Amino acid sequence: MALNRKIAYIDLTTGTVEAKPIPVKMRKQFLGGRGLDAYLLYNHIKPGVDALGPDNVLLVSAGVLVGTLASASSRTHVAAKSPLTGYFGSCNMGGFFSPELRFAGFDHLVIKGKAAKPVYLWIHNGEIEIRDASKVWGKGVRDTQEAIREELGDHEIKAMTIGIAGENKVRYANVMTEIKNSGGRTGMGAVMGSKNLKAIAVRGTMDIKIAHPAEALEYDKKVISQVTAAKVSQEMGKLGTLFIWGATNSQGLVRTRNFQLNQLDESDAIEPEEFEEHTFGMAACYGCQVHCRARYVIPDGEYKGVYDEGPEYTSIGAFAGEPGCRDLTTVLAANHLVNDYGMDTLEVGGMIAWAMELYEKGILTDKDTGGLDLSFGNEAAVIEMIHRIAKREGLGDILAEGPLRAAEKIGKDSIKYQIHVKGMSALHSDDRPAPALALGIATASRGADHLRSRPAIDLYHLPEPVLRQIYGQPVPYEGPLTSDYTDYEGKSWQVFWQEQCYMAVDSLGICKYHTIFLGPNFPNFEEWSKLLYYNTGLEMTPLDIWNVARRANMLERMFNLREGLTKQEDWLVDRYFDEPTKLGIPKIRGRVIDRDKLHKLIDEFYGFQGWDTKGVPKPETLKALGLEKEPSHQL
Amino acid sequence: MTNERRAETTAEATARGRTYGAFRCLNCFERNTAPSGAKSFKCPKCGFEWRLSWPMPTQPRIRGPVWETNRRLAEEATAKQTKGEK
Repeated sequence: MALNRKIAYIDLTTGTVEAKPIPVKMRKQFLGGRGLDAYLLYNHIKPGVDALGPDNVLLVSAGVLVGTLASASSRTHVAAKSPLTGYFGSCNMGGFFSPELRFAGFDHLVIKGKAAKPVYLWIHNGEIEIRDASKVWGKGVRDTQEAIREELGDHEIKAMTIGIAGENKVRYANVMTEIKNSGGRTGMGAVMGSKNLKAIAVRGTMDIKIAHPAEALEYDKKVISQVTAAKVSQEMGKLGTLFIWGATNSQGLVRTRNFQLNQLDESDAIEPEEFEEHTFGMAACYGCQVHCRARYVIPDGEYKGVYDEGPEYTSIGAFAGEPGCRDLTTVLAANHLVNDYGMDTLEVGGMIAWAMELYEKGILTDKDTGGLDLSFGNEAAVIEMIHRIAKREGLGDILAEGPLRAAEKIGKDSIKYQIHVKGMSALHSDDRPAPALALGIATASRGADHLRSRPAIDLYHLPEPVLRQIYGQPVPYEGPLTSDYTDYEGKSWQVFWQEQCYMAVDSLGICKYHTIFLGPNFPNFEEWSKLLYYNTGLEMTPLDIWNVARRANMLERMFNLREGLTKQEDWLVDRYFDEPTKLGIPKIRGRVIDRDKLHKLIDEFYGFQGWDTKGVPKPETLKALGLEKEPSHQL
Repeated sequence: MTNERRAETTAEATARGRTYGAFRCLNCFERNTAPSGAKSFKCPKCGFEWRLSWPMPTQPRIRGPVWETNRRLAEEATAKQTKGEK
């Protein structure tokens, strides 16, 4: 059955492996993927451990619907204590890795200790081996995957690897599968590198038995129709996530020149329609009909002729908007480099743009940059800094430390120009005109995070009755909701609701583009309840799934509090409050976030969560969710 | 089964309001349509102009602003607002 996949405990120090079943009781509490990882991380990590030391624990998992007939059930989740923020580290990616992990018999891997020399894991049909990785240490992401497939003699192997950045413990190094599936944010690649773990290779041919196959097929057809009928899906199937740029940059909702402007004007050359000329068809992740992964060849320059996939919306912001560049080839080349080095696009773009503003203000000089002209708009400097960060050379070694540590090393008020929350850089979106988006990044468990609770549909000017339909289930809500994204009313509930929505989908293992993220008419709790039952036999109501999400989000919060998080860190840097936006449409110009109003939103948000005024879960909240005895060490 | 709640889910209900072929002005959010294949569009309500592309033959999307026009209109609106505030 779909629930009989195991959890494996792997100790790299001793070389031991132990596999156990996952009780249905735990499934009902946490489902799988990110939900169960929240439980495992809270239970297996001792407070205060060094994130880059052997006592950190790396979790790799599949959502509970991964590999079933549910559409877009492709998502892999990876968690550990973050070396970037010191808090809950987590990343989520598509592709084919976690379906293969399930076909090989496993749902969750709990990886402890540190190998004495570079190793990789070889997981196949219920077996786990620890193998020598010395031949692939030092290789990039794609060469590593190819070498492992060659060594094991199977080109169907799926591998999750780190690149040079992970080996060098760049604090925002990614884990990667295939060419472009990026487990970004919070530095899970650095944790993998710190354990001398270069890759996890999987191959499986074990069937996943569907609980009610005829009904599952029929219902999934219906869900697929819901998803593919949406206009955003059709645009994504043509242009990938780049399509978002047209709407956000047109209005003035993107950060440019670090955080000095909010629109990249006269930037026609980097619009997705220009990019489309260099693509040759779209690809999809496992079980997905949207196919939003563009495939391209770099048209000219140093990397002319190199094949890669993407870039995503994040990359156009990171390598064009933030550093103030308007060259498509630079975006394509930079995207290729971060993929192969295995680094977080957002963090790399954020750090380079920050360094450029410091250079502009004279805080960094030619002496600091080794003679590199770090002026905004210098495309060659963006490419060069990517190399230096991955290899930890010169200024790159400082930037590889992430926002807070780098600012501490550079000093001279450099922290004033960092755009981060909890030590993690923000997406290139400019959230000053949109309080809901600002609240989301201020309070997210990972730091400045647009994928944890962002009500992106707030930008669509949806009629209030539609908002009520969406945000009034599965828990009734009768408070305020407004169509105006510059308003503060009701935004705390929207952020709270989206937080549960995203945790649920991350625990099921379904892509966010198949739920209410970029479009309002997408499947959510009601559909998931049926997909779960038909595919796995688990009977859970929409409210049960909501409560799984509440439980897992609560444990992420408890993890962060145990690591020293305070209410003061659920906040934004001063520039959001003190520097008004300058460009864009009239309603966006002159916007800042109002401190008092954001305080009020945060208080409301805490109230919905069942936290006290300091942001700590109340005893009755924990009891209601069955968390009062955590850590309970049941798995 | 116990999971059955009602014939139509929220996603299905809200999807009934989809407006294929239409797009919203990114300034005033008025819902508009454009002649098939049009490369640009001026919003009849607010006057902002947008460059269009057509990912599907019947569905346009806003590719970007007509920079000069929208910059001018935004600056005029901001100046008027500032004057009004004084």
